[in-house]
Formats: sequence, C-alpha cells, structure tokens
Amino acid sequence: MSKKGRIVAQIEDGMKSQPSGAAFREGLVEADGFRIRYMEAGQGTPLVHLHGAGGMRLTPGYDLLCRHHRVVAFEMPGFGSSPENTRTRTMAELAATMAMAVRDLGIDKFNLMGTSFGAKVALWLAVQRPERVEALVLEAPAAIGPAGSEPSSGSPEEMARRLYAHPERLAPLPVPDLAIQAKTRALVARLRGPDRDADLETQMHRLPTPTLVLFGTLDHVIPPEMGRFYRELLPNCHLVFVYDAGHAISTERPEAFAEVTVDFLERREAFVVSRTETVIHP
Amino acid sequence: MKVSYFETGRYVTPPDLPREWPVPGGSYDPETGAEAYRGMVERVRFVEELGFDWVSLSEHHYSPRILTPSPVVSAAYLAARIDKIKIAMLGPIVPVSNPIRVAEEIAMLDTMAPGRIVVGLLRGTTNEYLSYDLNPKESRERTDEGMELILKAWTEPQPFGWQGRYFQYRTVSVWPRPQSQPHPPTYALGTSAEAGEFAARHRLGIGLSYGTFELMAKSAHYYREQCARYGWEPGPDDIIYRANMILAETDDAAEEALRRRDKQAPFPIRGGLRDALLQSDTTRNIAGERRPANVGGVLPISFCGGPDRVVEQLRRCREEVGAGVVDLSLQDPGTGNLDGMMRALELFGKKVLPRIREI
Repeated sequence: MSKKGRIVAQIEDGMKSQPSGAAFREGLVEADGFRIRYMEAGQGTPLVHLHGAGGMRLTPGYDLLCRHHRVVAFEMPGFGSSPENTRTRTMAELAATMAMAVRDLGIDKFNLMGTSFGAKVALWLAVQRPERVEALVLEAPAAIGPAGSEPSSGSPEEMARRLYAHPERLAPLPVPDLAIQAKTRALVARLRGPDRDADLETQMHRLPTPTLVLFGTLDHVIPPEMGRFYRELLPNCHLVFVYDAGHAISTERPEAFAEVTVDFLERREAFVVSRTETVIHP
Repeated sequence: MKVSYFETGRYVTPPDLPREWPVPGGSYDPETGAEAYRGMVERVRFVEELGFDWVSLSEHHYSPRILTPSPVVSAAYLAARIDKIKIAMLGPIVPVSNPIRVAEEIAMLDTMAPGRIVVGLLRGTTNEYLSYDLNPKESRERTDEGMELILKAWTEPQPFGWQGRYFQYRTVSVWPRPQSQPHPPTYALGTSAEAGEFAARHRLGIGLSYGTFELMAKSAHYYREQCARYGWEPGPDDIIYRANMILAETDDAAEEALRRRDKQAPFPIRGGLRDALLQSDTTRNIAGERRPANVGGVLPISFCGGPDRVVEQLRRCREEVGAGVVDLSLQDPGTGNLDGMMRALELFGKKVLPRIREI
C-alpha cells in the first residue's frame, strides 16, 4: 500500500481545467553544437526528462511531477521543431550531448527520467555519467525489445491504439506534421540500435544507480514482460507494473504514475516500505 | 462431458434456525459443524468412486447453507484425504481478497496436489460484499484488477511492484510457484461481458451458473467471440455450467420432488437492505445486457427428471451452452436431506454419467 492522497488532492485543486504542460516555460540551451529546446516547471531537486520517439509531449503526469520537482523536459536534437540532426550517430552520442545540455543549464546532479526511446538514451547517459545521475526512472523503456520489434507508426488512430490501453477515454492524437515525422523516423531508425544491445547491457550490470522501471500492464508497443530484463541486468532496479495503462503511462494513469515516481525519487530503495496509515479514529 | 459435484459442507440445520442472512453465530452447533466436514470427505470419496471428475467448492460467509468461507482450506482438507478427484475452487471471491494471498495459497495447493487443482476466480454474490465491507460499486473493477494481479503473481519471474487502481504493492515475489505451468487450469466465473473478455484475453475458461440455457448460451457465445478476437478457440473443457438438478428414478418422481421443493433462497435478505444492495450493485449483466443483481433470490432448477430425460437435458446443455463441464447440486445447498442427495448421486453415477461421457 502507498500514500496517494497528496497528489490526487492537488489534481482536484484545479489542474484538470488547464491543458497539460500549461505550467511549463520554454527555454533554449546551446550544447555540443546544438541549440536545444526545453520546457521547465517546478521547484526542488531537478528531474530531467528525455522523451520517446514521437518527440516531447508534456502529459498530465508531468504536470503532477512539477509540483514536487524542478522538471526539465528536453527536446532532443533532431526531434520536433529542431533542425534535422544528421550528425548524431549513436544513442551513446545522443546521451553525451544531453549530459552536456543539462550541465549547460547549471545542473550538476539530477534525477533522470526517460520515456520509451528516451529511456535508452537515459540509460546510456547514466552509464556514462553515473556520478551525476542520482536516480533513474524508465517509463515503458525501449532499451530492450523483443526480437523483431518495430517502432510505432501509422495514422493517429492506429497510433492511439498502439500507445493507449483505452484510446476511447482520451482526446485524439494530433495529426502529425509529415515533415517532422519523416525527419524523426530517419533519426530514430539510425539511432535506436539492436533490440538487445550487448554493449549497453554489459555496462548496465555495473550501474549502481537506483532505478525504477515502469510498465503498463497493457503496453502494446513493448511487452511489459520486458521489464524483467531490467531487473536482471541492473543491480539496483525496481520493477513496477502500472495496472490498466498502455505504453503512454503518464497520459493514461497520471496520478498513479506520479505517485510512484515521486515516492521513488524521494525515498529510493526505501519506497517499498509502506507509510500508509490504517488507524481509524485514533 | 465432465461432471463436477458441488460440495457445500452440508450443515444439517434444525427447523427453528433463523434463515435470514447473516445467520447468528450463536446458533451454531459445534457437533453439527464437525459432522458437516466429516461428511464432506465421505461424500467426495463417494462421488470419486462413482466416477465424477471434479469436486467443486465455493466461498460463502455467515451462514450454515454453505459452510465453506474458505475454499482454500476446504481444498487442502480434501486434497490430503482423497487421492484422485480434481478439486475445483469456484472460487475465491477476488474483490474481498488479498490477491497475492490467493496466488500464494493456490500455488501451495497446486504443489501439494499436483495436477488436481482447478481455479475459478469470481466477483461473488452481492450479499458477500457485506461480509468484508466491500463497496458494491467497486466490486467489478476490483475483481478485474485482482484477477490480473493473481495471474501476474503466478507468472512474473522477477520481484515486482503493482501500481493498481484498487491494489498497491511495492514488493511481490511469490513462493512456491504453481506446479502447473504457467498456472493451474483457471476460469473467470461469471456471465458478464467483463468476465468473458477477461477470460478470452488471458486464455482462461469461463464458468456460468444457474441461468437458463438460452441466457447462458448468450454468455458463452460472447466469450467465444472474444476468444476469436484474441486469436484462439476454446474447447469444451473451457466452459463450466453450474446448476441445480433434481434426479429421480422416474420423471414423475422428479416432478413430485420439484413440487415439494423448499423454495427458500440460500441467503434471504430483508426488504430495506435488499433494496439498498440492489441499488448499489448495478453493473450485473449477461454478455453486456444489463440484469438486476440476485439478492436473496431462489436459485432455479435447471435439470429435472429421470435418467433418460436428464441425459437429454444435458445433451441440450452441451449443444446450446457449449458447456463441457457441468457442476451439479443434486439437492439445493442448505437442505438437510442428505440421504436423498446420496441416492440421487448414486443414481446419477450409475444411470446418467456413463451415458454423457461421449456428449
């Protein structure tokens, strides 16, 4: 059991009436020869976010996280409105670029969260800079895939059916900008690497960083069974299934996502120790 | 067709015992209770010898009508005393249970009695939400989530946390694991669209109970449609039909028994409380079609007749509902006529069972 009252109460505070990401301010940072856009909100210990293959998307889950952390969500070079990135050749290089971007914001040590494709970048960053990454959260990570897995593609409706457990409960996905889509797909195809990356996995064995891996029980992009490999490979890894969520956990179950993430970032390994109080009328 | 005998822990009630649910615990007689459980072993041995395939057990609380609040304890008791017959727990009431505990206890049983344990997971009858103070409005979703968690606890090889809607656990890693892989034969019990979809998605069987063949056929049809959507086809053993049967030497004798039947609900519940339960348990359905909950209602007799007629009715059940397993009570649970029930079981074993094997 865990405490979830705090965050739920904040959502009822009126956040639901605002679009996701309303609290975030845009910024730009020069790093490694790229001009990198980021969105930032909140106070407290820094939480750096690296997005999935579809680009930066501020979900309701991040609105909740920024109540507890200074959340800095980057748009990685080559994604979204940034110029085409023909320079970065590997995930490791992209991770090195992002580590520089964080430093250039004046942030030395930080919590790091990666979503799907971004989780693989985050893992690379953590193995390159373990002294800077205090804790790692991998949301539906794509660092380990089943053999022959393909990146998501298709119409907004098809994408929604892959990304969400319950697309009917959510607003339709926006129609993608075809130029951005083509540019991003080429970049992801070049960078994503093999389904099992032996080089990365060897280094994961030695990564002491406390790591939380989240999988939705209805993830149609990456089978939630992949979660067990992170437990096997990472020496300090906690696997948590988010019930009834698909690949886009922080969109479908924002409160559940934020509650476990905030608790983990606050308490690390100790987050397994319940603080739920059950006494009635003490 | 396979046949299951529904064992309810027959507590022979004195005529002056209050009927209304919950029945006062102070009315309980220890010797009658001890006899009910001794008799449980005798009856199950008897049906095993007659060739019944399964004995089934259920979970009900606060009443002598069905004296098995814990199907797991009942199953452990029988598994230690009887060698061959399969023991079907139909089943733990998931929304009032700790799903991890359910997963652990069933894994223990499946290891202690390998190959003999069958599991049904269910939402439970409405009155049971009073037993452990469950909000009836949460019962459907708690059941779905609890079933999902039980399956995950059996199959996930690494320790995991569960960030549910109704259940939260940070550390789950059950030992022992089920002996049967990936888990013992498991059924989602219920006529609802939700149960059918869940069973189909997880390649489980389905258990239907007490409705007419026509209504149960709707549920079974819905389940098969969902299985097709998930790319598989269930076999006859994947559909259980639980029902009451009155079997006698002749059709006339069975009809006479039907007329004399004590038409009492197993768990009678009075006006105001009954209304309150009906108003709060509103999501009951048959294959998606809304139905009122059964609160304190009498359960129907689905099969009635001499052996020939009952064989014919079972054939129709097989054809119309598609059930390959029938789970039978040959006396209403809660009636004290044990001799009559034993005679009916024997008649079934000798005159009916051999003729329905090939159905």
